[in-house]
Amino acid sequence: MDFTCRQQPKGVCAVRGDSQKVFREGKFRKPKMSRRARKDTLAFIGFTAPNFILLGVFVFWPIVYSLFLSFFKWNMIAPKKTFIGVDNYVSLFNDPVFWQITRNTLSLAVFTVLFKLGIALSLSIQLNRKPKGGSLYRAIIFSPTFTTSVAVAMVWTWIFEPTYGLFRFLFRAVGVTSPDWIHNVHWALPAVIIVLVWSGIGYDMVLFLAGLKNIPQDIYDAALVDGVTPWQNFIHITFPLLSPTTFFLTVTSFIGALKAFDIISIMTDGGPLNSSNVYVLYLYQNAFQWFKTGYASALALILFLLIMVVTLVQNRLSRRWVHY
Amino acid sequence: MKRYVLVLLIALLALGTTAVWAGAAAEQAPEGPVKIVYWRSLTGVAGEVQEELVARFNASQEKVIVESQFQGAYAEILQKLLAALAAGELPDVVLLDSPFVALFAKDGALVSLDQFVKKDKTGFDLDDYIPGLIQDGYYDGSLYAMPVMRSTPLLYVNGDMLVEAGLPRRAPKTWDEFREFSKKVSKYNAAGEPIQLGAGFTMGQTSAHWYFQGAVYSFGGLVSDEQFNIHLTEEPAVKLATLWQDMVFKDKTAMPSNSHDDFLNRKVAMVFGSTGSMGNLLSRADFDVIPAFMPGQVQNLVPVGGSVLAMTSTDKFRQDAAWEFMKYMTSAEANSEIVIKTGYMPVSKSSMNYPATVAYYETNPVRKVAVDQLQFTRPQASVISLGKGTEILRQMIEKLLIGNMDPKKVMEETSADLLKEYNDSFK
Repeated sequence: MDFTCRQQPKGVCAVRGDSQKVFREGKFRKPKMSRRARKDTLAFIGFTAPNFILLGVFVFWPIVYSLFLSFFKWNMIAPKKTFIGVDNYVSLFNDPVFWQITRNTLSLAVFTVLFKLGIALSLSIQLNRKPKGGSLYRAIIFSPTFTTSVAVAMVWTWIFEPTYGLFRFLFRAVGVTSPDWIHNVHWALPAVIIVLVWSGIGYDMVLFLAGLKNIPQDIYDAALVDGVTPWQNFIHITFPLLSPTTFFLTVTSFIGALKAFDIISIMTDGGPLNSSNVYVLYLYQNAFQWFKTGYASALALILFLLIMVVTLVQNRLSRRWVHY
Repeated sequence: MKRYVLVLLIALLALGTTAVWAGAAAEQAPEGPVKIVYWRSLTGVAGEVQEELVARFNASQEKVIVESQFQGAYAEILQKLLAALAAGELPDVVLLDSPFVALFAKDGALVSLDQFVKKDKTGFDLDDYIPGLIQDGYYDGSLYAMPVMRSTPLLYVNGDMLVEAGLPRRAPKTWDEFREFSKKVSKYNAAGEPIQLGAGFTMGQTSAHWYFQGAVYSFGGLVSDEQFNIHLTEEPAVKLATLWQDMVFKDKTAMPSNSHDDFLNRKVAMVFGSTGSMGNLLSRADFDVIPAFMPGQVQNLVPVGGSVLAMTSTDKFRQDAAWEFMKYMTSAEANSEIVIKTGYMPVSKSSMNYPATVAYYETNPVRKVAVDQLQFTRPQASVISLGKGTEILRQMIEKLLIGNMDPKKVMEETSADLLKEYNDSFK
């Protein structure tokens, strides 16, 4: 045994293979850790390990590996990966399509969140007044939440169809020609936003309803005594007291919109001319359709930073308007 | 007590490793039939016929057992193959979209078939395959893939609509005639909105480039040659691009189309389609469908599409088994079955002369157009095998037919993009 312990009063002794032992008064003793504490530690490790291993394998390791790949050129087939430094990042910032899809993604996120939350909030306020058949409406409005996104995308593709689609008849009724939504450079992104808003309203509305139910009735009663208008009621009572829900939904909806993929992939596949292409779809295309693993990894890192910054900013801003 | 546990653990571990070694040793000398895995694509009739052929092959001999696994569309097979390569858990035989042979062969993911052809003593003859169909199985002088479900682009024409417009009941022979026919067929309402148009141009990443290639060939041009020289800025390609664009924006007799439904709903009188769609279109249309050659301008020449079989197994015995299976799948008997069930093209002379095939064409003369077109085929443009090749061509077609941008400039941009992609990913 490698014994390199210096004779020091109460010094810690380094014995290879048994560093836990402490040299005290010329005698080796185990550090004070009761049987029970050790058992607890083991139990802790035992219970958390499965989770940590799964997270490690399926979340942390891919993140690290993707960061690593972003400095390489690799098509997933070749046995060799070529190190190219920050070239992926350089060509990314010089790629006009990258800026186009970033703009698309941000405007998609902003408009989706605005319309979705606005409509969901007004619907939930209406439903909170317990109109006749309210639960039926609630069920109908909630139904897109549990509808498969593929089915949603397919049905909406037909609704947008310029010759037979439902929208054509609605537009006709007001005397306007319906644009060819999905094949038009200017209308493809709005079409996608409409679908995302429609399919997201239900979930937000239910959360808003729960938030509304938590506002104590006596505040409204007191306000009624003071003779407030419904608008004042909303601005000074409902909205501030609902702000935690609104904040939560803003953050999650925004992140969700930044990650929009399935509906767009099926409806437009990003076209025409990338006018409805968004970040995650472009990332997917690069990685799995065009075999540009390194480039896609660089995109992923930028998206990670983007989401982080947006969330931090939202958090900071929230201090001004969210009341817990 | 603890020591016993430790000893036991070590013993167990040792046992485990020996088992692994034993397993490895066993692989060197297989006993009984060799099991191989086949990754297939395509659904509907085209999928069923593969299952049926696998079952027949398994029943016909005792040395090889093939397990057929459905892996999704062509694009999904590609992605799963990439994942399999990364994991080192490869299937033995895969069905590949033909342009991707070069992509995988280049980096050594496919097994060269030359050695198997050479040592095969069963009278196997490569010359039996139709030259235009085996040609794109080669990469760098070696054979990597064999033709199975091959198709060519066709023009499908609504005969009734042509006759209503006072035209003969036949497909246009040249692109000029195609334009004339479209003008005659188109009808508009009082508001100037189209009720029916002459033609629908296929959009999207999957096949838009394929029909475009065919049209460029017919004008006597090329998209790119085998050395990756790009010919899009030359006259034939520019002329064709201008013609298509003018039909959409000047004549207003054609439109970009995403689906054959536009044809089946009589929105357009003519669409492009694969020979593989013939069965589907003929059975679903409630009007007279005429499958015809793509219009020729200076010549009839089309790019071959569809799928090929490639070998990916890493073990020698499995490779031999895979070879036997690939031979069966492309044999006259199996191929004739595919032709009859799906409308894909016969891939060999012996399959074309196989009694069942001959009888089939006698009873269904309209489907013979696929065979007639066989002599006018060449492989697809080399740039299709670049990872982003089809996407760049899709963008080109969108720029032309949706963006209404100057054809010459579009061709220059597209050539530059393709060249950049080649330098970036293939060289």
